[in-house]
Amino acid sequence: MSEYLLEMKGIAKQFDGVRALDGIDLKIRAGECVGLCGENGAGKSTLMKILSGVYPHGTWDGDILWDGKPLVAHSVRDTEAAGIVIIHQELMLVPELSVAENIFMGHELTLPGGRMNYPAMYRRAEELMRELNMPDINVALPVMQYGGGHQQLVEIAKALNKKARLLILDEPSSSLTTSEIAVLLKIIKDLKAKGVACVYISHKLDEVAAVCDTISVIRDGKHIATTPMEELDVDRIITQMVGREITAMYPSRDHEVGEIVFEARHVTCLDVDNPRRKRVDDVSFSVRRGEILGIAGLVGAGRTELVSAIFGAYPGRCEGEIWMNGARVDTGTPLKSIRLGLCMVPEDRKQHGIVPDLSVGQNITLTVLKNFSRGTRIDGEAELKTVHEEISRMRLKTASPFLPITGLSGGNQQKAVLAKMLLAHPKVLILDEPTRGVDVGAKAEIYRLIAELAKQGVAVIMVSSELAEVLGVSDRVLVIGEGKLRGDFVNRDLTQEMVLAAAINQSLPQRTRTATPSTA
Amino acid sequence: MTSTISTRNGAANTTANIKQLFSRYKIMALLIAIAIIWAFFSWKTEGGFVTPRNLSNLLRQMSVTGILACGMVLVIIAGEIDLSVGSLLGLLGGVAAILNVTHNLPLPLNLFLVLALGLLLGLFNGYLTAYMRIPSFIVGLGGMLAFRGVLLGITGGLTIAPVSSDLVYLGQGYLPASFGVALMIVLFVLALALTWRQRANRIRHALPVPPLWRDALKVALIGAVLLAFVRTLNSYDGIPVPVLLLLALLGLFSYITTQTVFGRRIYSVGSNMEATRLSGVNVQSVKLWVFGIMGVMCALAGLVNTARLAAGSPSSGNMGELDAIAACFIGGTSMRGGSGTIYGALIGALVMASLDNGMSMLDVGTYWQMIVKGSILMLAVWVDVSTRSGR
Repeated sequence: MSEYLLEMKGIAKQFDGVRALDGIDLKIRAGECVGLCGENGAGKSTLMKILSGVYPHGTWDGDILWDGKPLVAHSVRDTEAAGIVIIHQELMLVPELSVAENIFMGHELTLPGGRMNYPAMYRRAEELMRELNMPDINVALPVMQYGGGHQQLVEIAKALNKKARLLILDEPSSSLTTSEIAVLLKIIKDLKAKGVACVYISHKLDEVAAVCDTISVIRDGKHIATTPMEELDVDRIITQMVGREITAMYPSRDHEVGEIVFEARHVTCLDVDNPRRKRVDDVSFSVRRGEILGIAGLVGAGRTELVSAIFGAYPGRCEGEIWMNGARVDTGTPLKSIRLGLCMVPEDRKQHGIVPDLSVGQNITLTVLKNFSRGTRIDGEAELKTVHEEISRMRLKTASPFLPITGLSGGNQQKAVLAKMLLAHPKVLILDEPTRGVDVGAKAEIYRLIAELAKQGVAVIMVSSELAEVLGVSDRVLVIGEGKLRGDFVNRDLTQEMVLAAAINQSLPQRTRTATPSTA
Repeated sequence: MTSTISTRNGAANTTANIKQLFSRYKIMALLIAIAIIWAFFSWKTEGGFVTPRNLSNLLRQMSVTGILACGMVLVIIAGEIDLSVGSLLGLLGGVAAILNVTHNLPLPLNLFLVLALGLLLGLFNGYLTAYMRIPSFIVGLGGMLAFRGVLLGITGGLTIAPVSSDLVYLGQGYLPASFGVALMIVLFVLALALTWRQRANRIRHALPVPPLWRDALKVALIGAVLLAFVRTLNSYDGIPVPVLLLLALLGLFSYITTQTVFGRRIYSVGSNMEATRLSGVNVQSVKLWVFGIMGVMCALAGLVNTARLAAGSPSSGNMGELDAIAACFIGGTSMRGGSGTIYGALIGALVMASLDNGMSMLDVGTYWQMIVKGSILMLAVWVDVSTRSGR
């Protein structure tokens, strides 16, 4: 029995001759939670894919000792058998199947003849839910009926059911609400007490600081430092991550706010699947020239629905009026909105932001490609000139604009998506979670850019789940709760507690608990 | 450090290198495949396969599939599929024959009407797919049956013949030898100019420039192929009219896909439709017009087919969609949309036509021909898939 549950020594990995990891060491004791920090592209995900067997033994260099013995894993199944379970940032659930069926995915309990043993699975699933302090969950309901936060808990239950001794959580809180994050952190602490070790990967350093015992920082594929949490604070972690000190995360707010340029009146959106349910319920608000309006609220409150309805991208039915510069306008489709100077950077970068088969440059010019055409032909020279300008303005890090966009880190992809929309010269710019999955350095640059735009007179509407960000950047904050407007605050002496209180005001989550369907 | 990695992963690296080579020089791989196929058939037919007469024949046979593949590759890049093209080709070819034989319409008017009808029916398919949101697979399946049904109805199940000689010229005519030589010179100068411009552009934008000898070799190779192409065809009857048409389409469609806004949008729509829509592109209209172009290609293919057979047959174009789709996939078009090239699809069509022609010469049974073609398609896609996802 060794002192450590897991020892990774000198891990190195190359992709097409590019060294992604270069001699990383990582040691974890049983019951310890290690925070793995680093900017996007530092190599965290690669390291965890090696540990979890996604990259099989032999495709990388170095040694892994598990319980003091060498671990040779050829697939994820091997590492799961050993007790290493990874929970990916994107949830791996089948939305149509029930909570219990998801928990037992691949390890179903069966009756003779291969029939599913539903009673036993439901019993065990309910037990797990009680362990996770979520007894309200009906394990027979399809997973898609629950929000992102609860789905994350289902993932954890799934891992626990596999008798995990080491749980890898990759950005587990990126789609969770504040209260759900508190639950998640409590669960991790409980698991630690039971001797389960954790690797916690997150850009939200306050969470890392709250739950981790040790912090390992990697940068550019190299191990920078491993330090007990007692000797650290968030600022020092950031310094280690970026290798320089970030003096001001948020830019100063010294731009002038002008007249009202944008108004949304009585916006109502109906749920796509269930038209009786209102996702957004009669929301009206206005934004002024040069104003940064933050929209806060819990996940699932209807913020994304609200802004995509305004932009003309909401898939379901919606009603309401949009006024710009005192005149009613039609923003029925994204094309119409963009022509009016109303642009949006969507929340889900991978699904709605980037076009994976196009190059960095081609992604940037997607919206305004027509401007470069002479007759039928695209003027490649003019296009490239603009692309180079945007790349330097955004400080976008890419070796060449001709490279595929999928090769960029999350932060740089986001900058490319932003550049694409800025080229359309927006008068009103909607940013939906502009810094999700973006590293600290790129975050500060995005904030700087937002402030710059406001200074130029653009009205910015920013939806964000990070309250610190909302309060750090916005002039005014709207709070949405259960599809309704719950508050409209000028951002002066405003605190996170005040926003949160407005967001959860009178809104204890309702959950209809139906009888367990008799499936067997 | 590096040496330990390379020794430990030596075997893995070799496979990885082969995979890389394959994906980077896919076109070379395809050309090598064609060379092997041709060499095999020449050996088996004791040189009969590579006579000017047969090669001329081969290219004419390929033209119908090639014309369809030009349109199909756009449809597939846009993330859709069109299964109705075989039937639509048959229908439009049949209409052309009826207008010609029964109604004695002058050729220009006939061409205009058939092409317009092709465009309309293509747009109709596109409308159903893009605006009515019926999956293109289903639209194609429905069209496949319905168009064939209409064709059987209007021809009464009979072959319409004989079509007039000016229409026949479209499928069976040859261009004079002097035209071939002029064409060769023009194309060679074009290749030279394009390569030169590409080099100049790369130098201007500080991109890595391939060594001069490689570009020179490339141009020399193109020249050699052009020379062989024109000399071979001229030593028979000259360049066939449908082959010239195919060359023109190759140029036009390559221009559309690489140089125009519409072309860029086709790739963008196929790669990520939602992101493209949110970027302010009218994705429905892009799809509509891609299907419209496919319809026009069906009309052209139908005209050439009718002209080649000198008759409108109720069964013509049968399984044409499969040849066209196979040509696209053999030519490296991605199955999930977003990437593919015109020249790739045409080389794919050449592979299919070579197999058809060679096996017919060897008197291989129809059933064997089908088995071989099916296997080649699966082999090509397997190579594509296994080299694409290699990591």
